[in-house]
Amino acid sequence: MLDYVIETHDLCKQFGNVHAVSGLNMRVVRNQVTGFLGRNGAGKSTTIKMLLGMTHPTSGSGQLLGRSITDPKQDLEARRQVAYCGEDKQLYAYMTVKQLIEFTASFYPDWRSEVAASLLDRFQLPRGRKVKALSKGMRTKLALLLALARRPSLLILDEPTEGLDPVAIEELLQTLSGLPADGTTVFFSSHQISEVERIADRVCIIDRGRLAVDLSLDEIRQDHRRITLSFPKQPPHHLFDLPEIRSIETNGRQMIVVSSHGADAVVERAKSADAIVLDIAPINLRELFLGTVQDHK
Amino acid sequence: MMLFYKAWLESRTRFLLGLLALTGLSAVFVFFNNDVRTIVTEHEVGYVEYIWKGIFKGHLRDVYVVVTLLMGLGGLDRERSYGTAACTLALPVSRWRLIAARGITGMIETAVLAFLPASMVPALSPFIGESYPWSLALQFGTLWTIGGILIFTIGFLASVIFVGEYSAAIAALVILFGYTMTTDLPGMEHHIIDVHDVMNGSGPHDATTLAAILLTAAVTIWSAGYITSRKDY
Repeated sequence: MLDYVIETHDLCKQFGNVHAVSGLNMRVVRNQVTGFLGRNGAGKSTTIKMLLGMTHPTSGSGQLLGRSITDPKQDLEARRQVAYCGEDKQLYAYMTVKQLIEFTASFYPDWRSEVAASLLDRFQLPRGRKVKALSKGMRTKLALLLALARRPSLLILDEPTEGLDPVAIEELLQTLSGLPADGTTVFFSSHQISEVERIADRVCIIDRGRLAVDLSLDEIRQDHRRITLSFPKQPPHHLFDLPEIRSIETNGRQMIVVSSHGADAVVERAKSADAIVLDIAPINLRELFLGTVQDHK
Repeated sequence: MMLFYKAWLESRTRFLLGLLALTGLSAVFVFFNNDVRTIVTEHEVGYVEYIWKGIFKGHLRDVYVVVTLLMGLGGLDRERSYGTAACTLALPVSRWRLIAARGITGMIETAVLAFLPASMVPALSPFIGESYPWSLALQFGTLWTIGGILIFTIGFLASVIFVGEYSAAIAALVILFGYTMTTDLPGMEHHIIDVHDVMNGSGPHDATTLAAILLTAAVTIWSAGYITSRKDY
């Protein structure tokens, strides 16, 4: 049986008339790397903020490491085992690296000083330097150090590679991909689909505040197919009114159908409409993402 | 304990500037009393009255009031503009504890600033051949502390209600100005305690009045905590 570190049930957040998150039902499996994708304003950051108790849900419920996110006491308990790295990577500018490490360590009884010391050396962070004098890449490394030294069960990152140079991105991705082996589940939002595809075991795509996709990368590779069809006349959309169809793109008499359960059913229906199958190919995460958020079925 | 440390690091610049201003001005009032005396009062007054008019009732008290008001500013909304609110809120501590740490730190700083002129005046006076009673000075230090705490909480509450560093500062000054104007209206002394008069000893400063001021300050801090606990960041 799968064990979930994050579970949400009909989670909603409304800001005035804007529905930032509307009825989100999502589960994140323990000891995996899960990528959280979505367009700008899809509700990624709001979801993360609700999980961490920074923003209160309008309705619905959720659990973080088995504790309710709507109960302040339980949410606080959950936060003892959760590490978070925010999108803008801002840390207390007036503290030195050493001060910030000591400050953070004081809140976590399981703090591993040896891990902090080893990461300080590995990331080449100067202990005496003020945080405001660090580059964005160094601030990200420091945030990661603060997160990992506390031995978190769950690490949540919001756009972790945003603004980093390629070398820093590579180091970060390598670090993240190795964490589940040490018992840390990684849940990270990103716009960089190639990065998600590289390190994630599973991907959740949120679109207009709702979960549109929740699949493992293996499921995407094995089951999803892009079928390119050519019709003798204007192709009928209703022909592919099937639950496994993720997206349909029509260009003249040509149609590209993305199916989540192989190509057989699509091919069979296409042939019944005298269509010619031009191509059947596996799809990548980029195609799935674009198909999901551009043409939501 | 580290939350107090954080609160101190965030407020220390304002605190040290206040400390510098109050120390310098206290020294000026004592050492240059012959020159300053003509600015403070047109009448011939004794040293103790001059100190009261210049420091405990006068310009220095006004400086202290503004400093304590500014000491109250800050907190999570200010952190939001710096981008660090998420770091703070992700810590395994309740928002009430964050508020408490900042409030207690600010009140201690307010008390230290209040006792600065109260200890400097009697300590420095012998150097110019004058004397000022310690008991009287410490009494003013206590009154300044209690009044200062109330004014600190005005800034504290404003920084929770009004998002934006300047908006909160302006709102706090407007509230203080409005309060001062209201208390100056004829007959209002029967309805509202004028904290400025309490601080300089010319208004009521019995135990009940002082307790009422501290209770008001506690309610103001609690209100700030309540608003913070329900806010979205």
